[in-house]
Amino acid sequence: MSEIDRRTFLKSASALSALGAATALGGAGPLWAQTIAGQKRPDVIRKAIASTGEEIPAVGLGSWITFNVGNDMELRDQCADVMSAFFSAGGRMIDSSPMYGSSQDVIGYGLDKLGARDQVFSTDKVWTSGDGMEQLAQTQERWNIKSFDLLQVHNLVGINENLPLLFKLKDEGLLRYVGVTTSHGRRTEDVMAVMKNERLDFVQVTYNPIDRDVEEYLLPMAYDRGIAVIVNRPFRGGSLVEKLEGEPLPEFAAELQVQSWAQLILKYLIAHPAVTCPIPATTKPAHAAENMRAATGLLPDDKMREQIAAVIGVLI
Amino acid sequence: MSEWWSYGLADFLLFSPRVYFRLFETMNTTWGLAVVSALVAGVIAAGLAMRHGHRGNRVILVVLSLIWAWVSYGFMWQYYQPINWVVPYVLPGFVAEVVLLAVFAARPLPLRFGWRGDFSSVVGAAFIGIALVVYPFVGLFEGRDLMQAELFGSAADPTALGTLGFVLMARGTWRWLLVPVPLIWCLIASATLWVMDQEIAIVPLVAVWLTVFCCWLDLKNGVTTRRMTQAELVEPTD
Repeated sequence: MSEIDRRTFLKSASALSALGAATALGGAGPLWAQTIAGQKRPDVIRKAIASTGEEIPAVGLGSWITFNVGNDMELRDQCADVMSAFFSAGGRMIDSSPMYGSSQDVIGYGLDKLGARDQVFSTDKVWTSGDGMEQLAQTQERWNIKSFDLLQVHNLVGINENLPLLFKLKDEGLLRYVGVTTSHGRRTEDVMAVMKNERLDFVQVTYNPIDRDVEEYLLPMAYDRGIAVIVNRPFRGGSLVEKLEGEPLPEFAAELQVQSWAQLILKYLIAHPAVTCPIPATTKPAHAAENMRAATGLLPDDKMREQIAAVIGVLI
Repeated sequence: MSEWWSYGLADFLLFSPRVYFRLFETMNTTWGLAVVSALVAGVIAAGLAMRHGHRGNRVILVVLSLIWAWVSYGFMWQYYQPINWVVPYVLPGFVAEVVLLAVFAARPLPLRFGWRGDFSSVVGAAFIGIALVVYPFVGLFEGRDLMQAELFGSAADPTALGTLGFVLMARGTWRWLLVPVPLIWCLIASATLWVMDQEIAIVPLVAVWLTVFCCWLDLKNGVTTRRMTQAELVEPTD
């Protein structure tokens, strides 16, 4: 870890804390902050982070591809609209990565525009075999946030260097939770080895009614060891919902009060006792709100979950 | 990442077609005059390159050098780099192309452009024609707006394709130095477009194969190795 980068990280954290305090002391936030601040948001299903008991809304927001819009201001505003719809519908967790192009900058832009820094459960990753601290300082600058709630080692890249770095930040009170990620079912055994040997708060894996390998070992292990689970690719990058479009929902879906396949899939995921928060990505504010509504009402029991997986398996 | 075999091309594409094609719309509307100027300069250079004889070699090389500089900074750095992690890795190559074109222009006997009537000339002219006229309008058939047209001189793909065409229209021992960068970019462009399900992905890929074939053919026929006659070296005055 470079000492200069470390100082930059700490300095920007202090500066942003001071800014936050000054804003709080000054009373009302800036004008744009009033768009989200003070909004009454609906109650949604919350799930506990086992390591602390803190509860977070059971649906989050991913940014893979959808938020990589570069410097296009029109598209940045559309992303801010998605974030606004997400927050208004009760969401909190937004996930990104240094690997996702301009997504971190776009999230920072949205948080600025919406004044939503106090609302977000900020989740990002470290993804480098080089200087992890330097990358984290850059990530923090892009989000323009005083500290992260959760940082994860992306795809286990540089795990031997990056995981101790994240634990150190957590020990110093600069980070709340530590995790590791994988996707597409890759390196599952390695992830489980890390889960077994390290005191992780979170693990992020791919899971949906088609890709169910994690059900066998990883999810039970996470549940037993008190590790919260974030689910990526709940719609297989959107292709799952696209293929199901036009197909009528099964009759039992009415019991769950779902209006779309997306909601049915999310309810399937949320209902798993080990799952904490799926993070679907979208470019449409209406879809962000629709996804959040999956975290309301009844959830399927085990039998119905099997029915959901079976129906989708037949249709795909 | 120990499981490279499990990764596909799509895993490396971090942006959507919607965002990609918006890049051209934003650039065309923001830098309209510069975009049109680069296209017109390209048309003039094409006109000079396709004539019989060897007139305006320096003009062609200077125009191409300026165009590559504009594509490097205007499109690649300002617009494409924020969404595509590949760009910072290939940008030094684009800068090298700018420098090479400028160096060729500064030489006492720069590359000699002109219609030779052989297969490579035909292919080169076709590349230039496609880059200038066809490429920008392909999007219309796929339902995209005209403002999202990818224009030679500003967008990287048609500029790389057209540059390969110019090179095939040229004579000169060292012309091959100008081939690698547009060739590699055409490969990257083809892969990107293919992952985005764009049928035009086939065009830069075919261009790569044809360029390699034509370079081999020209080498075999002595187009690039044979010393030019005095008559060929002297620029016509009429």
